Amino acid sequence: MTERQALIGAGVAHMLLFAALSIGWEWRQEVLPPADEIIAIEFVDIADAPRVTQAPKPSKEAAPQETSAPAPAEAAVPEPMAVPDAVPPPEKPKEAPKKAEAPPADAKPLDMSKLSNLIDKALPKARTKPLDVSKLATTIEAAAPRAAAIDPRAAATIAQAIRSQVAPCWNPPIGGADVRRMTVLIRADFSRDGRLIGVPSIVSQTGVTVGNADYARAFAETARRALLRCSPLKLPAQQYDLWKSAEINFDPESMT
Amino acid sequence: MRILFLAMALLANPALAAPIRVDINSGIAQPLPVAVPGFAATASQTTEAGSSAELGGRIAQVIAGDLRSSGLFRPIDPAAYTTTVDAADVLRPQFANWRTIAAQALITGNVTVNADGSITVGCYAYDVFSAEELTRQGFVTTAAGWRRAAHKCADLVYSRLTGESGYFDSRIVYISETGPRTRRIKRLAVMDQDGAGHRFLTQGQNLVLTPRFAPNQQTITYLSFEGNRPRVWLYTLGSGRQEAIGDFPNMSFAPRFSPDGSNLIFSMAVGGNTDIYRLDIATRRLTRLTSQSGIDTAPSYSPDGSRIVFESDRGGSQQLYVMAADGSGPQRISFGEGRAATPVWSPRGDLIAFTRIGGGRFSIGVMRPDGGGERLLTNAYQDEGPTWSPNGRVILYFRSARGGPVNLWSVDLSGQNERKVPTPLDGSDPAWSPLLP
Repeated sequence: MTERQALIGAGVAHMLLFAALSIGWEWRQEVLPPADEIIAIEFVDIADAPRVTQAPKPSKEAAPQETSAPAPAEAAVPEPMAVPDAVPPPEKPKEAPKKAEAPPADAKPLDMSKLSNLIDKALPKARTKPLDVSKLATTIEAAAPRAAAIDPRAAATIAQAIRSQVAPCWNPPIGGADVRRMTVLIRADFSRDGRLIGVPSIVSQTGVTVGNADYARAFAETARRALLRCSPLKLPAQQYDLWKSAEINFDPESMT
Repeated sequence: MRILFLAMALLANPALAAPIRVDINSGIAQPLPVAVPGFAATASQTTEAGSSAELGGRIAQVIAGDLRSSGLFRPIDPAAYTTTVDAADVLRPQFANWRTIAAQALITGNVTVNADGSITVGCYAYDVFSAEELTRQGFVTTAAGWRRAAHKCADLVYSRLTGESGYFDSRIVYISETGPRTRRIKRLAVMDQDGAGHRFLTQGQNLVLTPRFAPNQQTITYLSFEGNRPRVWLYTLGSGRQEAIGDFPNMSFAPRFSPDGSNLIFSMAVGGNTDIYRLDIATRRLTRLTSQSGIDTAPSYSPDGSRIVFESDRGGSQQLYVMAADGSGPQRISFGEGRAATPVWSPRGDLIAFTRIGGGRFSIGVMRPDGGGERLLTNAYQDEGPTWSPNGRVILYFRSARGGPVNLWSVDLSGQNERKVPTPLDGSDPAWSPLLP
């Protein structure tokens, strides 16, 4: 092999290598945020505490929206940029690297709202396919799943409200050692105004033996009567889903 | 990221929400408010005890009194009722009327006079808030026996609502006392457990003590000093016949029946030693059960007849012992401060009631047959001589006030609901009969 051929071969190999590396680079580019989207930081002198004129808006559009989603991001674009044009419009990502040296010496404090605009701009680009938005929530509050298990504070408050209304109506049978060891779980369904739907049913009972079946029946009836006496309950209608069906465990162990 | 939000939002479907779980760990321990309006007369009829309407009113009052005395029910004052119950309402009550006065149960019924002069009392109980019938039962009796029908109805309601068996249809025998302390006149007396139907059985010429019922209800055993000889006697209630059990020249006291009614156990002093003996009533055969030196007395059978609890000072002070019915294997069961006396085994077999003597006072206590779980139920100057209700939930005893009268009192097994039992004169030494059949 002559030197020339070797040089050509090495050059081709280098070009092939370079091409391969370039392709890999571009592929990765689609997954990672593009380098040009890095937020530019403006250095300012800090005299006192930084003045934040507007509290940072939590991005309510965090959940994917209907087709109007891109609008806020695009709407943010026409806002006048207080930050000097270190931030390029999204259509011209290639110019971003040049802006790194754009004059940052603007005496204005960092405008958080404008930063959030920058964040918003990232959203439309990341979308890869259209979503079925009919089932999706429109705000963060609605997006949080409403099952009681996931919202422990609201559930605990409702449970306390039920307890404080039903417990004063419960007269467990007094006396009788068997009864002290019993518990009963009652299932009750409520309508939206707090009234019972149907008669509460007994889900399960503990402490029942062959010998104390009569006590067990009397005991379970006192629990059922407590619910019947004290309905309708006063509970928040907007959280009806949390309390429309309740399982209430009556356990007299802490009495006497 | 989008996939995650989609998944979470789909899970927010309300149909998957679980019932909220609430724990209620205490309620309010109070007597159950009930309404007992006068029983309705199915037709206006008369009996030897009054018209059926009058009987209906009195029956309701007896039932309300029974339920109130148990401490577990609070019959609402009839003045607060917004309606009466007539014959049609008995089967289909207007529950709204009873809900407004906060009654949780309604006890009602009717009285029918039968062709032969007997009466049929129909007894119905309803749960007011769920509008359900709880129980119903009819009782046929003579017109003069209307009280028993009322007590039976009260027992039915009591057992349905508490799970316990009833005790209202029973009687109490006791010693009625009168006169100055140095010259007391003591007479045997019997009455219904609510104090009605009081009768004297002896005239008071002789000292009588410690009466007890036989399981069959018709016989009472007691100690009498007739002819200055203390002997165990049997008194048959129907005929009034009194019979001395054998002729024991020795002092004998504190007689009790065995659960099957075939034996009597009592104590006798022989040769300076007081021991417990068993007498077969039919054969009059006498068997000695204890033989230790000291005073063994106040024996009481367990409800299954297999064991006997008694009081003995063989260990130096009055304490309680349990032995087999044949006298073998006596074990001490009472410990702790002071002395223990007059043990009585509960008809349920789970507890022994006794008198605890110590600290300058006499108190009523209960303990398990193995001696554990001792609890004092009363806390006065001098409470002694306990006897159990037929369902083992209430204890009757007698209380002597300091230098004052002596009366019958009852207390609930939980130590609550202490109440005085009304007697025409002073009373002591009560015994509670089994439930009448």
